[in-house]
Amino acid sequence: MADTAKPLDATTQRPDAGDTSRADWNPYVAGIALGLVLLASYVLMGFGLGASSAAARVGYAAAHAVAPAAIDHNAYMAPYVAGNPFEDWMVFEVIGVLLGGILAAYAGGRLMRRPTLLKGPRASVGYRIVFALGGGALMGFAARLARGCTSGQALTGGAVLSLGAWVFMFAVFAGGYMLAPFVRRMWR
Amino acid sequence: MTAPFMPGVLAASAPFYQLDAFGYPVAMALATLLGIGFGYTLERAGFSRAPVLAAEFYGRDMRVLKVMFTAIATTAVGLALLGGIGWVDLAALKIPETWLWPQLVGGLLLGMGFIMAGYCPGTSVVAAGSGYSDGLLTLVGVIVGSIVFGFAYPSLAHFYESSAMGVATLPKLTGLPWAVLAALIVVVALGSFLLAEKVERVFAKKDAAEPPPGNAPTRNRVLGGLAVAAGLSLVTLLVPAKTPPVAAEPRTTPITATELAREIAADRASLYVVDARSPKECATARIPGAMCLTDKDPGGKFIDKLPNTRPLVVYAAAGVRELPVGASGYKGQVRVLAGGYAAWKASVLGKPAPPHKPTAAAVKAYRERAALHAHFTGTNAPVVVTAKPVAVKRAVKKGGGC
Repeated sequence: MADTAKPLDATTQRPDAGDTSRADWNPYVAGIALGLVLLASYVLMGFGLGASSAAARVGYAAAHAVAPAAIDHNAYMAPYVAGNPFEDWMVFEVIGVLLGGILAAYAGGRLMRRPTLLKGPRASVGYRIVFALGGGALMGFAARLARGCTSGQALTGGAVLSLGAWVFMFAVFAGGYMLAPFVRRMWR
Repeated sequence: MTAPFMPGVLAASAPFYQLDAFGYPVAMALATLLGIGFGYTLERAGFSRAPVLAAEFYGRDMRVLKVMFTAIATTAVGLALLGGIGWVDLAALKIPETWLWPQLVGGLLLGMGFIMAGYCPGTSVVAAGSGYSDGLLTLVGVIVGSIVFGFAYPSLAHFYESSAMGVATLPKLTGLPWAVLAALIVVVALGSFLLAEKVERVFAKKDAAEPPPGNAPTRNRVLGGLAVAAGLSLVTLLVPAKTPPVAAEPRTTPITATELAREIAADRASLYVVDARSPKECATARIPGAMCLTDKDPGGKFIDKLPNTRPLVVYAAAGVRELPVGASGYKGQVRVLAGGYAAWKASVLGKPAPPHKPTAAAVKAYRERAALHAHFTGTNAPVVVTAKPVAVKRAVKKGGGC
C-alpha cells in the first residue's frame, strides 16, 4: 500500500502497485454488479441511484446556515432547505456510497492511511488542486442544470430508457473527449 | 410455453415502495444499503482513482464505458424480464423526465468537468472515502458548483425549464416494446466494447505497452448471459397477456380524513400536505400544516423539490381529479385525501355525534373522533356517559434526522 503524503504519479506507479491482495474487478463483471445494484433499487424503490443532489442539498443547508435570507429568497434553493434538508433518500444513499467505498477499499487493502493526491506524472500539485476544485464546481453546476449527474441521470435514466438520459450520457462523453486533449498535461 | 414466463400469472408486487409495501423508515434503511452496494462496486471497478477514470478519455483503458454500458444493459434487460413475467409493474417506475437542451448542455459541461477533475460526482465520494484528497477536493467543488447554480438560477430559469418533454422514453418514441430495446442495447453494447478494445490495442501499440488485460472470455460470458436474459424477455412478448393490463391510473392511495387527522395530531412532521385548491381558498382555511399553491406556481412545482422521505398528501375541495403537475414527479408515496377538504370539514371539524348504541367499537371510534375534533378545533365534543374523555396521545417525536 502506498503510505505516503507525497503525490503519486499514477501512470508510472499505480497507487495499488505492489498490492497483490486484489486487483480491480474485470470491467464487465463490475458492470454486471453495478447493474444488479441499480436493478435492486428499481425493484425495491421504483427509482434509481444518484449522487449530485445529495451534494447540492448539503451545500444548500450549509449556505442556509451562513446566510438564511439569501437561500430562503432563492426560488431554486429554498425548497431544498424547507424542512430538514437531510431527511432525504438520496442523502442516506450517498452516505451509503461513502461507507461502501471505504468498506471496499479497506477489504482490498488500499485504503490510504494518509490523504493522497492522485495526478498524472507531469502535473504539478497546485495545478491538480485547482483542476479538481474547478472541475468539481463545473460538474456541480452542470448536474443541477441537467437535473442529475452520471449516476442519477446517465446510469439511472439510461437503464429505464429515458431519452434525456441517453442524450445526457452521449453529451458527457462528447464533452470529456472534446476537452481531453487540452488538459493532457494533467493525466499523461 | 413454460409457466414461469407467462405474463399475468404473477401479480405485480414490485416496485415495492411505490406499491406501498413499506414506509419510509424501511426506505431510508434501504437507501443506505443500496448506497453501500453502489459505493462498493464503484471502488472495486477501480473508480476511486482519477487516473483510471481519466484513461477513458485518452483511449488507454475504456473501463468507464465498459462498466457503464454493461450496467445499463443489465438493468434494462433485468427490468424487461421481470416486467415481462408480470412481477414488476414497469408503469410504476419513476423514470427521469426529459428537458432536451438543458440536459444536452449540462452533459457537455459535466463531461468537461469530469476530465478536469478526474472524477464524476458519485466517484468523487468513493475517492474521498478511500483517502484520496483530489476526490475530496472534487466533492467540495461539486458542492460549490451546486450553490453557484442556485444563485445563477433566476437568470437561468428560462433555459432550465425549456424543451420540457415530460417522461419521454425510447419505447414511447419508437413504439418498440421495452424488451426489444433492451435487446438492442445488448447488441450496441457488444459493438461498442469490441471497438473500445480495438482502440485500447491501438494506443497500447503506440505506447509500446500492454493493453488492459485480455477481457475477451469474460466479455463473451457476460454478454452471452445478457443475451440469454434478453432472449427470455423477448419470449414473454410472444405470450398473450392473460389479464388485460389495468388502465393507467395515478399511483396514489387514498387516505381518509380521520386517518389524516390521526397522523397530523401524532406528528405533523411525518408527512407533507399540499392544498391543491386555489391559493385564495387555501389562504382562507386549510388543514393545519398544509402548503398552498401560489399564483406564481399554480402547478406546485415546489413539490418536486421536497425531500421525498415523507408521504405526500394532496387534497382538493372534494375529490382530486388531477394531481398538481409537481406532485406527479414526487418520488415518495403520494396519497389523496378521500372526499377532500369537504370530508375534513365534516369528519374532523364537525362535531361527532355520540353513538346511538354504545358498543365497545362504536365508543372507541367516537372517542377517537372526539379527541381529534378537540385537537383540531379546541372545543370539546359531548362526552359519552360510559366513557372518560381521552386526550390525543402525542406520539413520540422522531429524532431530527441526521
